[in-house]
Amino acid sequence: MVYGYAGRILRVNLTDGTVKTENLDLELARETIGGRGMNSRRLYLELKKDIDPLSPENLLIFGVGPLTGSPLTASAYFTVSAKSPLTGILGDSAAGGHLGPELKQAGYDQVIITGRSAKPSYIFITGEKVEIRDATDLWGKDIWKTSAAIRKKLRDPSCQIAAIGPAGEHLVKYATIACNNSRMCGRTGMGCVMGSKNLKAIVVKGTGAVILADNRRFLSLCKEIDRKIVSHPEYQKRMNLGTTMLMTDLNRIGILPTRHFQRGIFEQVGNVSGETLARQFKVKNKSCFNCNVHCSRYYVTEDTEGEGPEFETLCSYSSRLGVDNLHFTLRVNTYLNRMGMDSVSSGEAIGWAIECIEKGLLTPKDFDGLDLRWGNTDTIEKLLTMIAKRKGIGDAFAEGTRSLAERFGKGTEKYAFHVKGLDMICGDPRGLKAYGLTYAIASRGADHLRAEPFFELTQRYDEAEKRFGTREAANRLSEEGKAALVEYSERLALLIDCLTVCKNIGLCMDVLDFETASELLVAGTGLHFTPDGIHQLLKNQIDIDRKMNLEFGMNPSLDTLPARFTGEPLTEGASQGSVIDIDKLVKEYYRIKGWDEKGVPKNQK
Amino acid sequence: MSSGRPSPRGKGQSRQEGSNGMISIDVSKCSGCKRCEVSCSFIRTGGIGRAQSRIKVMKVEEIGIDFPVLCQLCKERFCADCPEGAIQTGELGQILVDASLCNGCGLCERLCPIGAIELNKKNPYVCDLCEGDPECVKECNLGALRFEPEKRNRVILKTWAKKNEGLSPDEKRLRFAVSKAAHLRKQWTRSRRT
Repeated sequence: MVYGYAGRILRVNLTDGTVKTENLDLELARETIGGRGMNSRRLYLELKKDIDPLSPENLLIFGVGPLTGSPLTASAYFTVSAKSPLTGILGDSAAGGHLGPELKQAGYDQVIITGRSAKPSYIFITGEKVEIRDATDLWGKDIWKTSAAIRKKLRDPSCQIAAIGPAGEHLVKYATIACNNSRMCGRTGMGCVMGSKNLKAIVVKGTGAVILADNRRFLSLCKEIDRKIVSHPEYQKRMNLGTTMLMTDLNRIGILPTRHFQRGIFEQVGNVSGETLARQFKVKNKSCFNCNVHCSRYYVTEDTEGEGPEFETLCSYSSRLGVDNLHFTLRVNTYLNRMGMDSVSSGEAIGWAIECIEKGLLTPKDFDGLDLRWGNTDTIEKLLTMIAKRKGIGDAFAEGTRSLAERFGKGTEKYAFHVKGLDMICGDPRGLKAYGLTYAIASRGADHLRAEPFFELTQRYDEAEKRFGTREAANRLSEEGKAALVEYSERLALLIDCLTVCKNIGLCMDVLDFETASELLVAGTGLHFTPDGIHQLLKNQIDIDRKMNLEFGMNPSLDTLPARFTGEPLTEGASQGSVIDIDKLVKEYYRIKGWDEKGVPKNQK
Repeated sequence: MSSGRPSPRGKGQSRQEGSNGMISIDVSKCSGCKRCEVSCSFIRTGGIGRAQSRIKVMKVEEIGIDFPVLCQLCKERFCADCPEGAIQTGELGQILVDASLCNGCGLCERLCPIGAIELNKKNPYVCDLCEGDPECVKECNLGALRFEPEKRNRVILKTWAKKNEGLSPDEKRLRFAVSKAAHLRKQWTRSRRT
């Protein structure tokens, strides 16, 4: 009897239409736990590294973990992994919602998809059977219409669906995969890989159950975590605003990306803050599976409605582009969700173009005559429709900012804010040193979620000294102790991705530590896990991800940040005068990792 | 309940004339987290799965509605037409299934107009109010579920029996949820679009 895990994996070859179910290798499960860890390991073991990410040989892997769909709060996530078409290195992205638990209830821990279907298809997965079905009539439909059409056709309103939209079909390099219409696997272009396989959707219907090894123990651990959550000082705020609370918070400390990181304070923040959004347009809370924070929100405006937006989308399509109009931002959120396109990467590409025009490096003529200016919402919306379907200059934007800037040259590359091809998220690293280091070293490019070192914002100085040997680790402007903080948080973030839980709860609210996770794993799976063992396997996996990226041809000297953040001090506010000494931080991080001076793991497994 | 749970009694022995226990729903507060489904299935069956939960959340994504559907303890008692006599009524007015009499024929599932009773592996799952101390209500921290021990005015589902005839339990639940949420949808558009 297998506990926690479903105990089976599914292999689908879209080229020849074969479907194969295998038993989960429990030894692999013990080494990688599940979710992102097991997906990464699978890529490392089975993927030929020098393939074109859009070739049939790429693997597209959906994975959940041993605690997904359990009574653990927000055990809702699933991770999709593949070689990224946007960056050419490890790609993966996770989403909450309700698909992950459904996959578990259908009896699968992992779905490994390879090949390319001759015609548009979807995969229908239930506990009893798996079928590759025709999706010709769905091709071209947006994500919301796709989900509705599938549910109607199957006469099953409650099946769970992961789908791509027109952006994925048109191979936009940062296309997303959505479940529950608006929960996005947003980053690294997993929707593009899915589109390249002619795969429109994965439809899951689970009628089984998640069975745990020790119900009583597991439940008491969950109750303790729930208690910590509801008594957390940020609980009410997170429930009311979710991640949109960061608009006001980051502006206050002078690091809210404004007009493409030219400033860290947005003078009209009050018009686009999470508070204003909640007051004017929120009608209710939304929630991922089994979460008691319910941090997502449903909005209704005069011309649109939908779930979200999260902070990254809100900021990408307000201050980052100099827009102070929430109607616009919410329209864009709905549009991107329907089309299946990443808000951070599309927003960065547009911000880059506007700044290049402003600096006189390029002109509107370079962009099909589009009048790209800060705050020009009509033009931005028009450009988005061109990107989603690769029309006109939208075709170049669809390749991602790194490629776009390389195409135009003329010094525009230095305004392309990405690391290793993945566009930078919304948080100015000049006033967030641990986040800056995370962008530089993260195994999927400029992204915060690989470590989410939220701790540096919490000013818990005593705790900082205890955990990282210096009080400065809790001071966001200090570089001291930050490499240690990132190394620690990176492990915890991976653990949370392996369990497939939410990082807002696990990391930002700091309610899940290695010891508790180990106890949950033991009670959930009945397998032998210890905190020390978990530390070791997480370290191993991070080294393996690094080694895999080197095999993908990644140059370790790209562990850095765009020049603006290392050389142009912020000009005002609570982070005035600040830049980040990224080289020093990266060196220190290598040292703690036990990697050599070039960032190569010494003890490769 | 300080003196332990009341023991179920036979049909027609409700503890107060004309009233019954009831889990009422405030759809405006439901976020669709399914904690109710999780606790129902986990506490009552030991496993976590929607198919073995007695309350099922309908997520109508295109209109933002999340609606937990469960037994309304309707006046008509459609499901009680069980040929084996396996469906009985407890002292709170709740539906109780006698597993020793049930042969898994599925008639109750077909008869329920709103999909509140559904078979899984031949066993009918229907809310029995956890003997007056419902687990789902304890887990709902948004106040979308509330237990009323002595609710008067029985719910009438006659019209639904006709409207939903021949549909699957999930389809019945969907129609019921969309209809019940129509008022809320109006409220949203009124408050946000004027």
